[in-house]
Amino acid sequence: MQLEAHPSAFPNAEFEQLMARYQQADPGAVAVLVERLSPQLYRFFASQLGNRADAEDMLQDTWMRIHRVRHTYRAGDPVLPWVYTIARRVRVDNYRKRFRMASREMGVDVLPELPTHNDETSSLPSFEELVAVLPESQREVVTMLKVDGLSLEEIARVTSSTTGAVKQKAHRAYERLRKILERATKGPERTPPPQSASKGVAQ
Amino acid sequence: MRSQTMTCREMDAVIASHAGDLTLPREAAEHVVECEGCRLLVKAFDNGHTSLGPPEDRLKQIQAAIKEDLRPVRPLASSGVFLLAFILISLAVVAIGSQLLGVNGWNALSTIQRMTIFAALTASVFLLAISVVRQMAPGGKHSISPRLLPIGILAGLILATAVIFQVRHETAFVPDGLACLRTGMTYSIPAALLFWVLLSRGAVLYPKLTGAAAGGFAGLIGVSVLEVGCPNLDLYHILVWHLGVILLCAIGGLSLGAAVDHFRRRSIRGHSRI
Repeated sequence: MQLEAHPSAFPNAEFEQLMARYQQADPGAVAVLVERLSPQLYRFFASQLGNRADAEDMLQDTWMRIHRVRHTYRAGDPVLPWVYTIARRVRVDNYRKRFRMASREMGVDVLPELPTHNDETSSLPSFEELVAVLPESQREVVTMLKVDGLSLEEIARVTSSTTGAVKQKAHRAYERLRKILERATKGPERTPPPQSASKGVAQ
Repeated sequence: MRSQTMTCREMDAVIASHAGDLTLPREAAEHVVECEGCRLLVKAFDNGHTSLGPPEDRLKQIQAAIKEDLRPVRPLASSGVFLLAFILISLAVVAIGSQLLGVNGWNALSTIQRMTIFAALTASVFLLAISVVRQMAPGGKHSISPRLLPIGILAGLILATAVIFQVRHETAFVPDGLACLRTGMTYSIPAALLFWVLLSRGAVLYPKLTGAAAGGFAGLIGVSVLEVGCPNLDLYHILVWHLGVILLCAIGGLSLGAAVDHFRRRSIRGHSRI
């Protein structure tokens, strides 16, 4: 599978320059920023929702909000935490909207269960299947670490928490995934029901 | 699990920073051979995620919409400038309050009480000001969680008050208290309005959280005015009627933030379509 480079693979200084040019109304900078950041932002939404149409809408909403608050980016600050904090807020709003709609329809939010594999060498679950069993706040941290390539410090900025708290969430997520993966490869035992169905989006 | 090389916990740091296309460090690779859980986890993450990206036409739409409304903007002033502005507003309100109410409270306090209560108030003002300023721009670095800070500050002030003040006989607990509460709010509300003007320059993403913090901050200014002006040193009077100003202001800020959040979401829903 060919994965595109994480935005973090690009030097932050380059993003900073692009943001400064964006603030000066340079259309070229806008085009480059949208092209470079959108694929990862899209995966940030899609990995946690599993719904591409919603992910596209949220991507668009994120860029509209970025545009509205572009003056709040300060030169020298890391760009990715700034962008992802806005994207996270869009996701929280979208989650609330979906939750309200689901409550009105009295629907049950069914999340995918991890498929079982008897052979370790057989294909393991996809990333989306794997993180779907995690509580919302842990899924968010693992997605930002593994899909978006953000560092623990950057995630702490995005989630308005401390690096220690993010590290703890990642640790708990890995512990849980280790157990689930071991069980999934050993036999057709059912995985525990995902907690995220009953938990809200972490703020 | 502990292998000869490293533990699963130590392995977590490697997994967090490991990109699939890189080779694991030697110790981590040895651990992975021995530990099934870590091996499966590394494999599952290396398995990758969907490489799908957004459709090209959607990106073009986004770019076009942004370019249509592209105007130069002046970047937000530095955090230091806003911090200074918040502190100057706080000092100005306390100075005006002291001028109008007098300094009977300051004079009634013993040296220990004066040092403790004003050190606690000053530290609280600084911590909340820093937290509020960092909430003005997305992605700010927080050394203390902004959700816990206002609660921690209120708890700290209650503790400090309980330690340094004693219960005294009071004949008019409620009337005196209500007068103090009113006075505290009289100074907190203008401070809150000025804070609101500063906050409106930034992008507050979580208005309820920021509203509660800014409200609590304005409440602290009201309490500072009361500590300088009110000579009543009864423990319950200070706990209920002085510190109550912080609680009331924080609740007011939270409610205002909730209203802003509600209206903003409605307006975003209306404007986000391109």
